[in-house]
Amino acid sequence: MPGSDIITGTLDILILKAVSWGPEHGYGIGKWIRQNTGDNVIVQEGVLYPALHRLERKGLLLEKWGQSDGGRAAKFYTLSAAGRKHLVAEAKRWTNVARSVTYALGRT
Amino acid sequence: MKRLFRFSSGRAGAVRDVKDELRFHIDARAQEFIAQGMSPEEAQRAARRAFGDLSAIEAEVRGNRIAYVERTERRDWLGALTMDIGYALRALRKNPGFTAAVVATLTLGIGATVAVFTIVNGVLLRPFPYKDPSRLAMVWLAGPEDGGGATLPLTTGYFANLNDDASSPVDAAAFRSWTYTGATSGAAEEVRGARVTFKFFDVLGVLPMLGRTFSDTNDAKVAVLSHGFWERRFGGAKDIVGKPVTLSGETFTIIGVMPPGFAFPRGAELPAGFQFAPRTDIWTPLIISEGDRRNFGTMNLSGVARLKPGVQRLQAEATMTARLHELLRTFNTRTQMDYRLITLKDQASTTVRRSLLVLMGAVAFVLLIACANVANLLIGRTASRSREFAVRAALGAGRGRIARQLITENVVLAGTGTILGVLLSVWAVRAMLSLVPSGMPRADDVHVDWRVIALAVGVAFACGVAFALAAALHLRRANIGTTLQHSTGRVAGGRRRIGRRGLVAAEIALSLMLLIGAVQLTLSFIRLERVDPGFDPSNAITASVRMPLPNGFRPILDGPKYQQFYRQLMDRLRQAPGVKAAGGSSVLPLTGQDEWSSVTIVGQTPPPNGRGLRTIYGVVDGDFFGAMGIRVLSGRGFDERDVTDGTPAIVVNRAFAKAYFGAANPIGQQLNPRFEFRADPPARTIIGVVEDAHQAGLGEATTPQVYVPESQLPYPFMNVVVRSAGTDARTLIPALKNAVGAIDPNVAVAQVRELEDLVGTSVARQRFSMSVIVIFAAASLLLAVVGLYGVIALSVRQRKRELGVRMALGANARDVVTLVLREGVWVSAIGVAVGAVGAIALARVLTSMLFEAKPADPAVIAGAAVAVALVSLVATYVPARRAVQVDPTAALRAD
Repeated sequence: MPGSDIITGTLDILILKAVSWGPEHGYGIGKWIRQNTGDNVIVQEGVLYPALHRLERKGLLLEKWGQSDGGRAAKFYTLSAAGRKHLVAEAKRWTNVARSVTYALGRT
Repeated sequence: MKRLFRFSSGRAGAVRDVKDELRFHIDARAQEFIAQGMSPEEAQRAARRAFGDLSAIEAEVRGNRIAYVERTERRDWLGALTMDIGYALRALRKNPGFTAAVVATLTLGIGATVAVFTIVNGVLLRPFPYKDPSRLAMVWLAGPEDGGGATLPLTTGYFANLNDDASSPVDAAAFRSWTYTGATSGAAEEVRGARVTFKFFDVLGVLPMLGRTFSDTNDAKVAVLSHGFWERRFGGAKDIVGKPVTLSGETFTIIGVMPPGFAFPRGAELPAGFQFAPRTDIWTPLIISEGDRRNFGTMNLSGVARLKPGVQRLQAEATMTARLHELLRTFNTRTQMDYRLITLKDQASTTVRRSLLVLMGAVAFVLLIACANVANLLIGRTASRSREFAVRAALGAGRGRIARQLITENVVLAGTGTILGVLLSVWAVRAMLSLVPSGMPRADDVHVDWRVIALAVGVAFACGVAFALAAALHLRRANIGTTLQHSTGRVAGGRRRIGRRGLVAAEIALSLMLLIGAVQLTLSFIRLERVDPGFDPSNAITASVRMPLPNGFRPILDGPKYQQFYRQLMDRLRQAPGVKAAGGSSVLPLTGQDEWSSVTIVGQTPPPNGRGLRTIYGVVDGDFFGAMGIRVLSGRGFDERDVTDGTPAIVVNRAFAKAYFGAANPIGQQLNPRFEFRADPPARTIIGVVEDAHQAGLGEATTPQVYVPESQLPYPFMNVVVRSAGTDARTLIPALKNAVGAIDPNVAVAQVRELEDLVGTSVARQRFSMSVIVIFAAASLLLAVVGLYGVIALSVRQRKRELGVRMALGANARDVVTLVLREGVWVSAIGVAVGAVGAIALARVLTSMLFEAKPADPAVIAGAAVAVALVSLVATYVPARRAVQVDPTAALRAD
């Protein structure tokens, strides 16, 4: 599943969505996705990190080292302005596609 | 906590970041499992399992991360630099007066330095375009009593001995200047050539660009062309080899063309007496016959030699001389002569080396003064900007950031100054070279090369670093907090001003030293121009009138033809309207054209060295003494009595009479000259004594000289001199050309000039040194005065409040002016004192450039010191006056 285009695109939107509430570290982002998708998207948590770094390189995420709740140093990601725009556009597209696909699959 | 402020920079940072990020994830996930009731070990394992292939993911993320970080940093650095430069330009534009002052000063300083160095480089440093030039030397003769600097030309005999066998320590070639007449587009013109022995090009190690050079002694009537002559005269035709060229009526076959840049011998590289043109255009063979090998009398050849491998110059000189002495013994002559070898580089630069080095020193002074001034301006600017820096520091700019900003500004300034300076130098080099028409060796070779560029860049770099250092030091000293609390104007900053005062004192010292040098050179030049040349340079013209020699120089066969031509020419000129006197001579004074020979006095035992009495000789036509204005001291000059079959006559100059006859009357005595053409000439009777005409230069001692009439010693080359009865001698030029053309249209009239130009040209080198140093001295004095003014003006500005308080407390205007003046007077007094001492210490350097002057003339030093002190006083007084115009209340209220 990681590597499949649908899932990669999905993971990207979910990451952006996860940080749209505020700065979050990689572990927190993973946890949010697990909790909200019922472990259906992420099978192995490691796949998160190449995606995070890719989004940062694209300028959709910004990084900042900060302190975690446990008092440890952690790398926090926030949404850049471009990232927020991207999230809005992709979410709309995803909903359309999902609705269409669901509709198509629902035809008997 | 410290990790909160971490900066991830570079590869190591990227690697560490990725590792820490993933580590944090695993640990946090493990904590979650522990909360679900696992043991820590189990939790760790579960967390890793949930993560997947940790090392593969870490490697992937790390690789991408490193590339990303490095790209970002490069972009950041460029961005910051662009920003710095933009900020620097804005800051400089905001202060146009300051920027203009700094850039102008730097442009002057760097322009002058690069210009002088370009010339020094071209003349002294650049290698010659010959193979292994350090192994080449000129060969001259010197008698035991001739002193170290003597360089007499070779005779064919002395030259032949050099190359006699394989055991000679050198390979040698001989050459002499030879001017041909060639006809192009109707008018006869001079072609400056050299007759050279056949090994000439091999000795120099230069191959022709086209064709070949002289291959053996049998080559005759062949010619090698210079690249320039080939292009000018033959349009650079590729098929030139084998074509004929007619010169002075002789036809030569062209066998080769030399590469561009090759023009040896070049006049200015050799003693002027050998009459070489600035560049040689054509080379023809000089063939030495059996009879020539025994000629030890007529010295008219220059020699150039390549030292054989492993032979040192002095060793070769000694070996050659020993062999010569042996040879002379077998000839049973008592002549004593030594060979002397002078390296090409020494030969070319002896005359100008000293004056060029002095110029280098002078320009270094100008550059130092310029830099001191710029440093001063920058320190002043930094001081007045300390508030700006303090504000920026308070707003969070690091000290490093501000220092970087300052350095960028200075580099922008230094860079602009360098670019403009190099442009200025291109113009300045041209201007300087035009001051020395032909007296500068290798002047035609002067151009910018890598050494010059390296110097310019080096100077700019040094200036930039020095300025940045000065500004940064200042910044380090200025405490930012203090600056904000006590704003500018309240603190006098005494310690800070010491540096600036020191710089200004140094500027004053340097400019005083330059001024003293300039005054001494000027006085020396005035004295030199006042020297009586021994002839009257006004109201006369001269021109070289040379007959073509289709069959070579054959005085015995063709002599009557030469004599007839010049007799007709003299008659025509004498009868031309406006002519007072006309004559001609094979040598002219002050041109350095000197043909040396020797004579013996009949009835007197020749001196023990057997060489006879050395003298310059001239062959003269018409009323040469009258035309030149050379006074006849006793006896008579030549006239119609001295016909071809009359009594052989000779005229000697005062120096000759004094040297060889002492107090005795030379008139009526008889001489046997060595320069006669006939095998067994009758002795010549001295008929007159004339005034000495300076031969080598106005500053040089006069030399013994004899004159013989052309009617009795036929000669085909004359410098014709025509004296006007009116005022403007130039009106006689058409008459001269017409007279020559009417007799023989194939004879060239060249180098037409006024006699006054002879004098001017002979002192051109001295005038050059003087003009340049005077300009440098004036520029440096101006810079120093501006610097002093700047320091005092800034000091007044910074002490505005203090001065206001003093005035509010009752100090009157005079007290305040005195207070400010005292500062300036101290600075200039120290500068003047140091400068005077420095001038005395450096006096020795100028000695050889001065004519009849004490190098450390106390009157000159005192006069210049007083002048500089007065100028400094004015520069101090102006800002001091401004200080008292300060309104005390305004000064106290000002921030």
